[in-house]
Amino acid sequence: MSILVVLLSLAAGAYALAVIERWAVHGHLSLTGPAWAALALLGRESLLARKSDRLFFELGPVLLLVAGLMAVAVIPLAPGLIITDLATGALFLNAALAYVLVALIMAGWGPNGAYAMIAGWRFLGQFIAYAMLIVMPITAVAMRAESLSTVEIVTSQEQLWNVLYQPMGFILFVVAAMGLAWLPPLDLPDATGELAGGVEAEYTGVRLAVLRLARMVIILALAGATVTFYLGGWLGPWLPPWAWSAIKILAVAAAMLSIGRYMPRIREARYLALSWKLGISLALANIFVVGVIALVVPI
Amino acid sequence: MTLAGAREGAMSGIRRAVAAAMARDLSAFVLPGPSVARAMGLDLAGSHLRVVGTPRHANVLILVGPLPDGLRDAAAVTYAQMPRPRAILTLGAGDIAPLPDADVSAPPTRAGLRSGLADLRRVIAAGAFRTDSGEFTAPALEVRVEYTCPMHPEIIRDAPGDCPKCGMTLVPRETASDGHGGHGGHDMPQEDRPSPAEHAHAGQAEDAGGAGAYTCPMHPEVISDAPGKCPKCGMFLVKAEEGESHGHGHRHGHGGHGHGHGSEAHGAHGAHGAHGHGDHGGHGKQQDHSGHDGHDGHDGHAGHGGHSKAAIDGIEPHFMSMVELTEGQPRSSDGLQMDWIEVPFGPFFPGLPAGLRLTLTLDGDTVAGSEARSLVGRAELVDGPQMTAGDFVGRLAAMMPLGPVAYRTLACAAIEEASRADPGQDARRGRAAAVERERIASHLGWLAEFGLQSGFLWLAARARALQLAVQGADIDGIAAQAGAIRALIRRVETAPLMRMRLGRIARIGKDAPASGPVDRARGVGSDARAGDPTLIALGFEMCVREGGDALARLRLRCDEIAQSLDLIAAAGRIAVPEVPDVETVSGEGAATIETPRGAARLRVKLTDGKVVEAELDTPSDVNIALVETVTAQRELGDALAAVASLDLSPWEVRG
Amino acid sequence: MTVQMIFLAFFGGAAVWFGVVVFRTHSMVRSALALLFSQTAIGAMFLVMQAEFLGVLQIMMMATEMSVMAIFMVMFMMDPGGMGKMDMTHQKRLSLWAGGIGLLAALLLVWLPDWSPVALSVPGAHEQAADLGRELLGRSMFIFQSAGLTILTAMIAATMVAIVPNAEQGK
Repeated sequence: MSILVVLLSLAAGAYALAVIERWAVHGHLSLTGPAWAALALLGRESLLARKSDRLFFELGPVLLLVAGLMAVAVIPLAPGLIITDLATGALFLNAALAYVLVALIMAGWGPNGAYAMIAGWRFLGQFIAYAMLIVMPITAVAMRAESLSTVEIVTSQEQLWNVLYQPMGFILFVVAAMGLAWLPPLDLPDATGELAGGVEAEYTGVRLAVLRLARMVIILALAGATVTFYLGGWLGPWLPPWAWSAIKILAVAAAMLSIGRYMPRIREARYLALSWKLGISLALANIFVVGVIALVVPI
Repeated sequence: MTLAGAREGAMSGIRRAVAAAMARDLSAFVLPGPSVARAMGLDLAGSHLRVVGTPRHANVLILVGPLPDGLRDAAAVTYAQMPRPRAILTLGAGDIAPLPDADVSAPPTRAGLRSGLADLRRVIAAGAFRTDSGEFTAPALEVRVEYTCPMHPEIIRDAPGDCPKCGMTLVPRETASDGHGGHGGHDMPQEDRPSPAEHAHAGQAEDAGGAGAYTCPMHPEVISDAPGKCPKCGMFLVKAEEGESHGHGHRHGHGGHGHGHGSEAHGAHGAHGAHGHGDHGGHGKQQDHSGHDGHDGHDGHAGHGGHSKAAIDGIEPHFMSMVELTEGQPRSSDGLQMDWIEVPFGPFFPGLPAGLRLTLTLDGDTVAGSEARSLVGRAELVDGPQMTAGDFVGRLAAMMPLGPVAYRTLACAAIEEASRADPGQDARRGRAAAVERERIASHLGWLAEFGLQSGFLWLAARARALQLAVQGADIDGIAAQAGAIRALIRRVETAPLMRMRLGRIARIGKDAPASGPVDRARGVGSDARAGDPTLIALGFEMCVREGGDALARLRLRCDEIAQSLDLIAAAGRIAVPEVPDVETVSGEGAATIETPRGAARLRVKLTDGKVVEAELDTPSDVNIALVETVTAQRELGDALAAVASLDLSPWEVRG
Repeated sequence: MTVQMIFLAFFGGAAVWFGVVVFRTHSMVRSALALLFSQTAIGAMFLVMQAEFLGVLQIMMMATEMSVMAIFMVMFMMDPGGMGKMDMTHQKRLSLWAGGIGLLAALLLVWLPDWSPVALSVPGAHEQAADLGRELLGRSMFIFQSAGLTILTAMIAATMVAIVPNAEQGK
């Protein structure tokens, strides 16, 4: 039952996100726009590049979607409203999202196109930049909750949300999450001006629709993770828990989608340098500070 | 109403809904490019359609203005890459062969765009699916089978036969009809029709056999009668002609085909195709330089191959040694040995000037070599033995879609100089202001392109809107926009990550020849306006920025926009020059104008009031030579930003 | 129990099958990703055996490791893009011997030692994670810390060795 509810809310969330993305990127606010776009996309030919690695080409978008759905499975929307409350939920989220990289490499390699291939491999460089910055802030979050379970991470924040408890970790996590979801300014895999669509460049029709849907699911999963880990999940006054989850997740997703509009893209080498020289030091400091606070101040 | 590019299928109920959705959700790929559309005052992005960066994601091809000859093949390939149903909308384009006839044509005006899009929506909604949709063919897409000798690749025949040199049976290979690379079936949907290319392929596979039919892709000296593995590296032997054909496919293929941006698929093919066959043809650079000598290199390699490999203890003699495989291959600056691929960018690449074809040799994601070529270069200025002054001015302005006012002014000034006419102080001020207005629009257009290329979408949208507002605006219109433009400039100066994106990219030394903002952004430089008394009287002072990199160029363009606003306000009037009345004057004259991209110089010779000779020097002629310098050893994204920072107009380049 | 056994056998079979694909395919990238999926299947086997933390960790780590391996293979082996029909087997005699000895060792390990009886109930996943933490920061701390330090040193050393001292790079 809760699986069905979560999946339905996921579908609604993906649609809402598509509306927001069109608004952020193209400047038109249209509630029906994504529906028409999806329908139009389904009616177009689904082309196959001539010398493609067919297996990877077909599998890439599907694996991306599966990875996103797996990640969504451990995000609690309300008490009891979660697909599976794993004891290792926070780690499982990472494991699922690690396959985003595999899927993009497959999708980039598959069509046998130079732009797509470069985009896929670039994402690997970007991955090395963000990977540690996803894991290390989560470590600090789990330290406070004394558990890897996402439900317990939410309940641990009843006194004080983690965004205030460990603001440094929040910033690092959001930046890393934007890298993972290849959102601008870290959108190397589909950089329009640089690689003409990159990984997406050879996909058309139904396959492109799957790819775009998967992308939305991944953004939602990451927004959900941010809310779960730092913004107190479903916690909040007055409104029912599910409403708080929905509001927070959509707000975070909208912020992540639109922030990139106001700055130029950073290439992976610079992101890498920043992440490793500055980011990892800060993340270690964050773990240390959180450890000290957790031992000294009981909140 | 029928759609030439309809998708196959009957118009059933669901398909009707899909067609309606397609009509609502137009994704347009613009030829020659959105920058040209904006320069013509057309606001595509503001017309409820999405301008996309790849033909694969488009369902409408919008042609703006006449299609230059150099872009016709590329346009055909681009169209072929669009998934069906696909439509063509032309705005002021005449003949668009080899593309099929436009589904909707409209004049290149804002009203024309509006009505054209409305018509287009009707056409798509009514005819997106058709049971008898034809196939699109164009010379640039055709794949031809030619016959060549496995041992003597210089022998190429149209028909099967024996090699005149060695008597071996010639083997077929596929090639594009006129020097274009093999890109047959890319646009074919996989379900229906197998592509002609694949037929060729299949045929080819069957008639192998005979002596020496199998060879190792890495070691061409290994030739065997039967399939098996290479004794040197253990790779499967491939049919000799297969290896050959793809080596060639690459070489010819990527040399020159014009497919745009479409080239993902083709380039792809080149890219991995080359990869693909492990033939050393894959290593573009070497191929370019030495052609077939590459094989000689292998012979040498073979010479010491064989036994010396066993020298490493514990490794069998047949183990593939990287040291040997990569011997003699070009190395990158970091000493790592990687596969080199040649990737075409343009002429319709988003984020590069429309009409520019940039071929990058990539070593990983570092640019190992580059070649920039304009496909829309200017032809002879004087068309025929002589032209009237009016025709000449009109022709020059039409040749430069990205800077028509500046070139019109230049032509008028040169003719006046030749006829010793004086337009008067007021006219001079009005002209100067008109050129400054174009400079503002052009620099804003550049900012919009930069924003698009670097993903700074807010900048792209804002600069685009302001560019359209400034174009053709009168003095009050400019004054009304001045505040918004200055705010945009401040915003650009303070935008985060700008230094990280552009700083130290595309640095140009002080002694390299350069023109315009590229010149003035390196601490020194010249400006044709510095010698113009009219502009000096208006308070002109040359803007200069230190640094010589892409960031300095961005800031200098912002400075110039602000200065041009002041100059227009000081001039008090804007007037595009009228064609001077030269009657039957004869004489010679030259004029220089600082166009938005740099100083352009025109020399004309009049005989009896007719232009008989003209000679033009343009800034892009100078700056296009910088492409190689600014891209060398740069990461791909940086290299593209570097090329964009030069603000080239391919139309200005000598064709 | 039987359902568990069926799943275990399924993932075990998948792991072996992907392992075979590693050598049967002719594309470097396919080979690397087949290895990844083989390892993922082993991770799934851990999950089936209720070793949740271990399974999830295995699934996570392998995705990234194998992708990195794939790019190195493509970069340096100049993989003929999957179409070069490259043979993935080399040094056949040596590999046959190594494989044979490995198989023998594995069989001996299965049959010879006195495995304690099958645990019918395992501690809960929460408890496992906590136990693992205590183990890592208790008895095994020294081993893990020294292993970590060794790996870090090796990585830095390898990078240093790989960089060609280049006069131009200094500028």
